[in-house]
Amino acid sequence: MERRVIFPNKLLPYLLVAPQLAVTLVFFFWPAGQAIQMSVLSQDAFGQSVTFVGLDNFKEVLSDPDYLKTLWRTLFFASAVAICALVPALLFATMAERVVRGATFYRTVLVLPYAIAPAIAGVLWLFMFSPSTGILAYVLKKMGVDWNPRLDGDQAMFLVIIAAAWKQISYNFLFFLAGLQSIPKALLEAASIDGAGEWRKFRTIVFPLLSPTTFFLLVVNIVYAFFDTFGIIDAVTNGGPAKATEVLVYKVYYDGVHSLNLGSSAAQSVILMAIVILLTAVQFKYVERKVHY
Amino acid sequence: MKRIHKALAVAMMSVSLISGAAFAQNKPVEIQMWMGLTGLAGETMSKYGEEFNKMQSDYKVVVSFKGQYPEQRAAAVAAFRAGNPPHIMQMFDAGSGDMMGASKAIVPVSEVFKRAGLAFNPADFIAPARGYYGLKDGSLLSMPFNVSTAVLFYNKDAFKKAGLDANKPPATWPELVAAAQKIRSTNAAGCGFTTTWLAWIQLEQLGSRHNLTVGTQSNGRGGLNAELNFNNPLYVKQVQTLVDMQKDKAFVYNGRSNDASAAFQSGECAMITQSSGAYGGYIRDAKFDWAVAPLPYWPEAKGGPYATTVGGASLWVFNAPNRSANEFKGAAKFLEYLKSTPVMTDWAKTTGFLPATNAAFKYLTDEGYYAQNPRAAVAIGSLANGKQGENTGGYRFGRWTEIRDFYHEEVEKSLQGKQSAKDAIENSIKRGNAALRSFEKTASQ
Repeated sequence: MERRVIFPNKLLPYLLVAPQLAVTLVFFFWPAGQAIQMSVLSQDAFGQSVTFVGLDNFKEVLSDPDYLKTLWRTLFFASAVAICALVPALLFATMAERVVRGATFYRTVLVLPYAIAPAIAGVLWLFMFSPSTGILAYVLKKMGVDWNPRLDGDQAMFLVIIAAAWKQISYNFLFFLAGLQSIPKALLEAASIDGAGEWRKFRTIVFPLLSPTTFFLLVVNIVYAFFDTFGIIDAVTNGGPAKATEVLVYKVYYDGVHSLNLGSSAAQSVILMAIVILLTAVQFKYVERKVHY
Repeated sequence: MKRIHKALAVAMMSVSLISGAAFAQNKPVEIQMWMGLTGLAGETMSKYGEEFNKMQSDYKVVVSFKGQYPEQRAAAVAAFRAGNPPHIMQMFDAGSGDMMGASKAIVPVSEVFKRAGLAFNPADFIAPARGYYGLKDGSLLSMPFNVSTAVLFYNKDAFKKAGLDANKPPATWPELVAAAQKIRSTNAAGCGFTTTWLAWIQLEQLGSRHNLTVGTQSNGRGGLNAELNFNNPLYVKQVQTLVDMQKDKAFVYNGRSNDASAAFQSGECAMITQSSGAYGGYIRDAKFDWAVAPLPYWPEAKGGPYATTVGGASLWVFNAPNRSANEFKGAAKFLEYLKSTPVMTDWAKTTGFLPATNAAFKYLTDEGYYAQNPRAAVAIGSLANGKQGENTGGYRFGRWTEIRDFYHEEVEKSLQGKQSAKDAIENSIKRGNAALRSFEKTASQ
């Protein structure tokens, strides 16, 4: 016998979800639809002449060697950001979990950077590493490093990776901490009784049990590095020097806003849309299934 | 009784309607102006809007900052497509080619003044600015407002410390190289020379200074089919010089736009090629004795040094389907106010930009402003009094902001040692021409 509460009114449920649907339609489907529409058109910036060109914009983008280089660069950047954001977060979480006194304080402090807007985080790192005035640049120069991220592409890449990862550590920290707290204490105690050391316990019990969290965070961090790092790159390097820090999402912005090359920019954002759909599908397929252990 | 009430009500209603209409007539018409200026220049621009509003009651000018020029332009493009662009928009020099290609989106300022029945003589503006923003028939497409050019700023203290004559700045590039090397070998400063606005100074101004072409069709003024041809050996030599000077930090690259300014201001670099618009900032912030010199030139080039060309920004009037004649008139009135001599002279003195009108220039000269401030006189001298040639009148290419970045990227690769100076120039031309062809295709459809 079913004991569900059922509303006889057929209209009410639709009415209740209507605001959410409206928001989704206006802010997600409409712009996405426009991007798809623009990606098959060729037009000047002011829309004085518009012609249908089919998939020409996509052909042009995908046959551009610069675009493919940017794609590889983005993959490198995303993996580096994910690693640099996940490893310290896991370390901090295991440390913070052991703290008994003042635990709330430590946790709050560790979470704080997440509240900072990406562009601001970028500017903070830019100041510290600014060749003429930055304090860390000064230290590096004293150490004999010829620090100039405005000319040295590797240094510029290093800078944006650090700035992007730093901000994400807090977010990862929160999830790792929650994950750690849900690991049954009995397992760890049993291992201790069997004489397992800290490292062995971590390697054989904690890490495997955390793997769903880790996998979830890996996907989230890659998506973050792909799409949300625009503000940092714009504030720190503008994609330079010589394209050294130009990732896909920055190229979409640059080609659309600076070059007013709307067709190409729209085609690129449709490609990005496909990537994010793929990543989300992966996440649903693997993470949602394994998260209940 | 009832009838009287009714009549009264109708009477009252019509009275209120009439007064409402009258009120609507008195309400000032709003004129939107978007600018791309921040800091002191931005504040001063906003101040002119407020002063104009106090002077008259027909129009109300709203000056707003919508981001740096490229962001602002993208916002204006979106607003235009939605049918509601700003009445007046400030656009920097490099965006001019794109704006001129958008013939349906803009109304030439000469035409705006004509429609408003206000006198407007393009010859009132200083010749270099008139050439940059004008058509062949002499009419102006946009109104020059903040005018600047490229000059050399140098640190006199560092010159003295290096044993150089602080009153004799380098006039040519070989002299500049020698000075920079001397500064480094005596360790008078951590870096000898740096530059802001790489493409604008080392490509565009270099072309003007030696009367070399950057592109065909009179540097793009002749038509959309112009092709880039800045392959004169001097352009390559310029890049090679910067690459070679990197040894021992006689030259240090500090980014594409204005980032290098901090390196001069902090005393780290002893010389900088920079926009004359930086003048006001250095007066306020530089803690050492400095002076201004004209942009160096190459002595082997034919005909000696020519004038430098115009930079800065001009004011464009947008067209829109639902825009009334009165709104255009309001825009014209505000532009008329901005070009008046008191505003222009105040602008030049406050910000360090150059006066855009001949009258303001004459006023400042007669007043003795340039005699008292010789450092401010250098820029206007090298722009207006320099030798004019067929290639000193500025550039007009579509997608020029992007082409400047091609040049930046390619030169950065040379500075990183990844390609030769010749490759940098050739690749910039190749990529730039591809962008020009694509612009031609969409703009002339």
